[in-house]
Amino acid sequence: MSGKRIRLLIWKEFTQLKRDPMLVRLLLLMPVIQLIMFGYVVAADIRHLSTAVVDLDHSVASRALTDQFASSGYFTINARPTSEDDLRPLLDRGQIQVAVVIPAGTQDHLDRGETAQIGIIVDGSDSQVSAVGSGYASQIISRYNRQLMTDAGISVAAPGVDAQIRVMFNPTLDPINTMIPGLIAAIMMISLMAIMSQAVVKERESGTLEQMFVTPIRASEYLIGKLTPYAGLATLQMLIVAAVGILWFRVPFNGQLGVVLVGLALFMLTCIGLGLLVSLVSHTRQQAQQAMMFIMLPTMVLSGFIFPIASMPPLIQPLTNLIPLTFALEVLRGAFVKGTGFAALAPQLLALAAFAAVIFTASIIATRRRIAE
Amino acid sequence: MQSTSPGTSAISARGLHKSFGATEAVIDLDLDVATGAVYGLLGPDGAGKSTLIRMIATVLAPDAGAAEVFGHSVTDQRGKVTPRIGYMSQRFSMYPDLSVAENLEFFATVRGVGRADRNSRAKSLLESMGLAEFADRQAQHLSGGMKQKLMLASTLMHSPDLLLLDEPTTGVDPVSRREFWRILASLHREGRTVLVATPYMDEAERCTHIAFLDRGRIRQSGTPEQIKARVPGRLLEVASAEPRRTLAAVIALPGVDSAHLFGDLVRVLWTGAADPIEALIAGLGGTDASLTVRAANIDMETVFAYLAENAPADAAAVGS
Repeated sequence: MSGKRIRLLIWKEFTQLKRDPMLVRLLLLMPVIQLIMFGYVVAADIRHLSTAVVDLDHSVASRALTDQFASSGYFTINARPTSEDDLRPLLDRGQIQVAVVIPAGTQDHLDRGETAQIGIIVDGSDSQVSAVGSGYASQIISRYNRQLMTDAGISVAAPGVDAQIRVMFNPTLDPINTMIPGLIAAIMMISLMAIMSQAVVKERESGTLEQMFVTPIRASEYLIGKLTPYAGLATLQMLIVAAVGILWFRVPFNGQLGVVLVGLALFMLTCIGLGLLVSLVSHTRQQAQQAMMFIMLPTMVLSGFIFPIASMPPLIQPLTNLIPLTFALEVLRGAFVKGTGFAALAPQLLALAAFAAVIFTASIIATRRRIAE
Repeated sequence: MQSTSPGTSAISARGLHKSFGATEAVIDLDLDVATGAVYGLLGPDGAGKSTLIRMIATVLAPDAGAAEVFGHSVTDQRGKVTPRIGYMSQRFSMYPDLSVAENLEFFATVRGVGRADRNSRAKSLLESMGLAEFADRQAQHLSGGMKQKLMLASTLMHSPDLLLLDEPTTGVDPVSRREFWRILASLHREGRTVLVATPYMDEAERCTHIAFLDRGRIRQSGTPEQIKARVPGRLLEVASAEPRRTLAAVIALPGVDSAHLFGDLVRVLWTGAADPIEALIAGLGGTDASLTVRAANIDMETVFAYLAENAPADAAAVGS
């Protein structure tokens, strides 16, 4: 190993990077833009569902119930048709997602101490909207019922089970708090792998790789020289993206900075190594891009980034352990949201370290084999 | 330059063999290149020239056989071979986004050339090749001929004893080609050994030794004079008003070995005993009054055409 040759290789990479402003922008600017953009997408909690209220009762009770819906924040009343028949066209045109029908006689029923029937219609074509919409609607109605009973002087403290749900770690249930750490990891992975996968194959295509092998440069020197500049840029990228996540989206940072940095650094090495390996075994840039697609798609689907691992079929679940992002997500979500420390996250951090070790060994072998070829 | 006594072998290869899948690129090939030679590897595309050069340059491992460069094995002693060779691949292989000076600097530093030597050599090489004013230009913005000269300059920065040049003049304009060979001639005078592959037959004349490769084997080798001497007879050019009719008539004459059209001329290889000019004029005279015959020098194109036609089907030809 010659430090002089490694320094020379690093100088060369940086000189080339300086002449490729697009690449630096791709590494430093794109992740920030993506994080902010996607951040708002994943943060879009289901609120302000467009709602129609058909009030056929025109009573105090019906108005009170309508107010409950309007003030909940989940429903925005955009239409007040006079008949139930008018709802269908509104639903068909997508103008409303939820409809509340208060039939005539509701007030009378309540006054007589009977149960009144209220109709809730939900557009089932979007399963998420329909589940959330009907859930919120029944919550509002049960709250209204309790209020009625209290008003009537009936004790609510009847025997029965009353669930007191307390959400730990993320009391506002804000999806952004778990999604931003995940996004940070996913965006880093995409941008690093996209760039690293081109790094060596570019030299193969331009013929400089062959020329390199007529020089005394060794495989390990070449890899270190190739890697260091990008690892430096990736660190910068990691800090910028994490800062944007914390400052812009106000993701509460409950954990130790050390855990997050170690986790991200190990994950970063894994991504760089994986990209490098793709680049080493590919013969053309196109091949490298295709290989990237083959890696990225299962990573996104199986890592728990989008779908929770716990709800995957038992046969599929072990596969998620083959994906570095799975562990990076556990580390980041744990450290960001729960403040989990090194001790509890040791298995995940060790897994990431193992990935990095295996991938880099494979890269050195691949480089050596390329020399022999 | 390290001292190498003249006459010792710069390259010595025995039984080199390389296949790519089902294609045998180089078949059981022996090659000897003496120190100080300008050795031309001639042959059509796909003859195995690049594969042979890449094996000697240590970038490609042979499937079988062995090759030594200045007595060091290209497979087991790569570290002793690479400092003494300059390998110029067929494709442009400099960093396109680095400047001419930066490319030279990079490849020379990697090879351990000291700063003082780097600066003085880069200066003199760029000047002698007419690249000095383009030192700060990015390599990707150079013309084809300048790119080739940059690559040659880069292979010369560590002052190698053996240059391995894979088709350095392919796709280069005629002026640059001549200039390139002028540089090679000066390297030859400095005592360096050059192994150069080329598809151009006319470049063979500028070599001290040549080998003709075809389908992975050396078919002919020797000095250009030796190889020319293998063609019996004399070459004549016949000018006439109707070259095609003349060609048909010529072939029928006794003493004519072969004949073919060369532009508007008919080229005749004469192996007869009589004086060819008189015999041809006598034999053809009746058909065309405008007919002239003159003797021509045998060129490499003719030599290889003749040798290819007359060589036994697949036997390796006799070496020099």
